[in-house]
Amino acid sequence: MMTFGNAILYTSLAISAIALIGLLLKDRKNNELLTKLVSPAIIIVAGLLTFAYLLLTYYFVASDFTYEYVWQYSSRDLPLIYKISGTWAGQPGTYLLWVWVIFLSAAWLAQTTKHATPLARRTQIITLAIGVYFIVLTLIQTPFKSIYELADVPPGFVPADGSGLNALLINFWMIVHPPLMFIGYATITIPFAAAIVYLLTKEDGWEELGRQWARFTWLILGMGIAVGGVWAYVVLGWGGFWAWDPVETASFIPWLTLTGFMHAAALHRKNKTTFSIAAPMLAAVTFILVLYAAIVVRSGLFNSVHAFGDTSTGTLLISSVIITGVVSLVLGMRRYLEEPDKVEEDKGFWSKTNIFYVTLLLFVILAFISFWGITYPVFIQLTQGFKVNVASDTKNFFNVWSYPFTILLMLALGFCLNYKESEKEKRKKTLFIVAALSIIAMFLRTETFYVLDHSSPFWVREPQIYKLMGSISVISIFPSLIYATAAIYQYLSGYLKLGNARVRIKGIGIAIVHIAVIFTLFGAIISSNFTYTNQGINIPLEEKGVLLDVGDGYGIKVVDYSTRSLTETSYSGTPIADVLANPSLFEKDVTISGKVTNFNSSGSHGTLVELTDNSGSMWVVFEGNVPVTVNSGLTASGRIMSGFEKPVLIARGADEFDVSGKYNVQSVQLEVYENHRKIGSGVAEYLQGKGGSGTFPMIAPSITLFGGDVYVIFQGVGGGAVPLTLKIVPAVNFAWIGIILFAVGIILIMAVKSKPKGG
Amino acid sequence: MKTKKLLSILVLILIISMAYGTYNLSLSQFKLSDKNNSYLGGLTWSRSLDASLQKAQQENKPIAMYFWAIWCQYCAKFQSDTLGNPQVKEILEKDYVLVAMDLDIDRDISRKYGVSYPPYVIFLDGKGDVLERIPGAVDANYFLPIVTKVRNQVRGK
Repeated sequence: MMTFGNAILYTSLAISAIALIGLLLKDRKNNELLTKLVSPAIIIVAGLLTFAYLLLTYYFVASDFTYEYVWQYSSRDLPLIYKISGTWAGQPGTYLLWVWVIFLSAAWLAQTTKHATPLARRTQIITLAIGVYFIVLTLIQTPFKSIYELADVPPGFVPADGSGLNALLINFWMIVHPPLMFIGYATITIPFAAAIVYLLTKEDGWEELGRQWARFTWLILGMGIAVGGVWAYVVLGWGGFWAWDPVETASFIPWLTLTGFMHAAALHRKNKTTFSIAAPMLAAVTFILVLYAAIVVRSGLFNSVHAFGDTSTGTLLISSVIITGVVSLVLGMRRYLEEPDKVEEDKGFWSKTNIFYVTLLLFVILAFISFWGITYPVFIQLTQGFKVNVASDTKNFFNVWSYPFTILLMLALGFCLNYKESEKEKRKKTLFIVAALSIIAMFLRTETFYVLDHSSPFWVREPQIYKLMGSISVISIFPSLIYATAAIYQYLSGYLKLGNARVRIKGIGIAIVHIAVIFTLFGAIISSNFTYTNQGINIPLEEKGVLLDVGDGYGIKVVDYSTRSLTETSYSGTPIADVLANPSLFEKDVTISGKVTNFNSSGSHGTLVELTDNSGSMWVVFEGNVPVTVNSGLTASGRIMSGFEKPVLIARGADEFDVSGKYNVQSVQLEVYENHRKIGSGVAEYLQGKGGSGTFPMIAPSITLFGGDVYVIFQGVGGGAVPLTLKIVPAVNFAWIGIILFAVGIILIMAVKSKPKGG
Repeated sequence: MKTKKLLSILVLILIISMAYGTYNLSLSQFKLSDKNNSYLGGLTWSRSLDASLQKAQQENKPIAMYFWAIWCQYCAKFQSDTLGNPQVKEILEKDYVLVAMDLDIDRDISRKYGVSYPPYVIFLDGKGDVLERIPGAVDANYFLPIVTKVRNQVRGK
C-alpha cells in the first residue's frame, strides 16, 4: 500500500537516481545534460528525507497506530520524549535515520564542492550509490508500513493503543545512545567514498575531503559507545560498563580501525607517499565494519540480548559487506602492485614511519580480536550446527587476547608521540628499559590483580593457554602507562611553548586525546579488577528500617519499599471534568471511564459507584447489584441526570478494564554502611513491563578519583525478601573523565582550520 | 618498504594462527550444544522434550527443563554456581531427566511454558505437567531443597 511516507521515500529514490545518473554522465561521457540538476536534486532529497523523519515523529507524537511501526513501539501513556525517541527504537526507524544523515552529508558535499573537481564528483557518485542503497533498505523495512497490509487486520480497524516501548528503553540513555550510534555510522560514508576514489584514480586531496567527517565520526561514534557503556553501568545492571556483548563489541571494532585510519592520515597528509595504501584501506575497512555491525544487530544470526532479531534486510546487508570488501581488497592490491618499488634510503626498523606502522598494525590486531571473537561462534553455528562459546567466560577471551597488545600500543604511544630523529638512540634505550620492566612486572605475584579473575568459578575451566595468559600480573600495564604519560607530558609542554595559536591548540587537542586513553584504560582496569561484590543478600521485608550486617563490615538498611506505575493510566471516553462542566450536553448518551474510588450497594435497588479519572470524579448508578471492587477500572455508558445537586450518570452498561499500568516499578530506598558509617544512600528500582524487566541499581557515586561507587542491584521482591547485590566499584571516575577528555581533545583538533594550501 | 612488508606478513601469520587456535579450542572445549545435546554447567542435557518425556515415564524420573541463552550474563553464573554445585549436580545427574531449551531456537516451547527470559528452570513429571518453576538465577541454597522435594514427590507416587 502506498502510504504518504512511502511515497516520499520512492520520490527520494527517483530524484537521487537522477542525480546519480547526472554525475555519471558528466564523469564518464562528459555529458552536461543533467549536470545543472545534480546539486538541487541532492538538496531536495535531503529535504524530503528530513520531512520524512519529521513525519514519522509526528505519527509517533500523534499516536497514529494505523502504522505498524508506531503500533509496535509506542503507546498513548508514554511521556512525549519517549514517543519521540520511539522513532529510533526499532530497525525501520533507524534505517530512516541513517539514510537521512547520509543525504545530509551528500548535500554538504554538493554545497561545499559544487562537484567542481573529478574527486568531488566521484566521491559524490559513491556517496549517492550508498545513499540509494540505503533508501532501498529503508523501503524494504519501511517505518511507514500501514497495519492494513498485515494479514489479520480488518480494514477500518484502528487500534485503541500501541503495544508500548520495551521497558528497558524507557530512560534517558535510550534517548541519546541510538541517535549517536547511527549518526556516527552514517557520517563515515564520505571518508569511505573519498578513499575508494583515491584507490581507483589516485586523485589527490581525498584525505582533506574526508578529514573533518572522519573526526566527526570518531567523536560521535566514540561518544555513542561511551554512552552505551554508561547506560549499561547505571541502568541495565549488566555488571559493569563493558560486557563484550556482540552488539557493543561490533560497534567498537570500526571505531578501532577508524582510530588507526586517523593515525595513518596524520602521516599521509605530510608526505603523500607515506601510507598511501594503508590509510585509504583503513578508511574502507572502517565503513565495511560499520555495515558488519549493522548485520550483527539486524540479521538475527547473532545471539545477543541487544539484537533487533530476524529481519528481511540481513541478506542484502551481507551481500553489501562482501561487495565492498572484495572491491576494496582488489583496489588495494592493484595499487600495491602498481606502486613502483621506491628506491628510498633504508633507515632500518627504527624510523618514524615504521613505528607508526606498528601502531596501525596494533589497531588492526585489536580490531581483529574483537571481530573474530564475535564472528567465529556464529560461523561454527551456521556451518556445523554447534553452539560454542569463545571461552569458559565470554569476556575472558577478549581480555586475554587484547591485553598484551594494549601494552604494546602504550609502548608505541610513548615512543612515537614525541619522536625526534636526533634523539633516536637515547629513546630506544628508554623504550627497551620500559619494555623489560613490563615483562618483569608480568611475573609479579599479587593477591587478585591478574588479567583473568582467579576467584571466578569460570577460572578452573579455562584451558591451559588462557590460564597462562590469564596469570599475567596486571602490574605490567603500569610501566607502559607511565612511559606513555611522560611522553604526552613532554609533547604537551613542547606545544605549550609555541607562539602560533593554531598549531598550539591542535597540539593541546592531540595531547588531551592521548591523556584520555590513559585515563580510560586506568579506570577500566582498576575498576574491573578491584570491584568488591557481595551477591545473594536477602533482606526480609519485615526487617524494614533495621540496619543489617551483610558481611565484610558492610551493612544495609532498607528504609522503604514501594511500588508504582511508571506511566499515567489513560482513560477512554469523555473526560469526567467535561461532563461535570456541561451536564446538559450529555443528557442523551455519554461514555466515561475511570477507577472505582468508592461504591454503595443498596441491594436489589441498584449500585452507586464513584468513578475517578485524571480530570475528576462522579457517581454512576447501576441497576441491580453490580459486583465491583475499589481500584478496578470501569467504563460506563448511559445518560446524565442533571437534576441532582451533582450530575449522576444512569448507566446502561459497563465494562471492566485493567488499570494496572504497563510499566510497574518496585523501588527500595536503601542506606549502605561500612563499619557503621554511612557510605551511600539512594533508590534501587526494578521495572517490569513490556519486553521483560530492567534493573536500575542504586549508585552513590564517589566524588574522589580513586574512591568507590557504592552500587546496589535490586532484582525485585521475591518470597517476602528484598534480593540485593552490593558492589563497591573503585576508580571508575577515571574512565568517565577519560571519555570527556576524548571529546574535548577531538573538538579542539576539529576547531583548528587546516593549513591553507601553499601557506 | 621491506620492513613494513615483513611486519605485515608477521602480523598476518599471528592473526591466522590465533584464529585457527581459538576456533579449534572452542570446538574441543567450549561446545554448548550440538544437534542432540546441550552441555551446560558440566551436565549433558537433551535437546528434545518429547524424547525426554518418554524417558522420564520409563524410568519414573522427573524432568528438569532448563531455559538458557548464549547471551545471558546471569546464566553463566547460574550454571557454574548453582547447577555446578556438587550436591545439586549429583541429584540432577542421578535422579532427573535433563532437557535444555535454547531461548533463541526453542521459542515455541518457551512460549508454551510461559518462559520469557533466561535462566529459568521448570520441573515436569512424565506426563508433562508442571511440578515447580524456578525463575531467575537463584543460588544453590534456594535450588537444592526444591530439586530434592520434586524428586521425592515423583518417587513417592
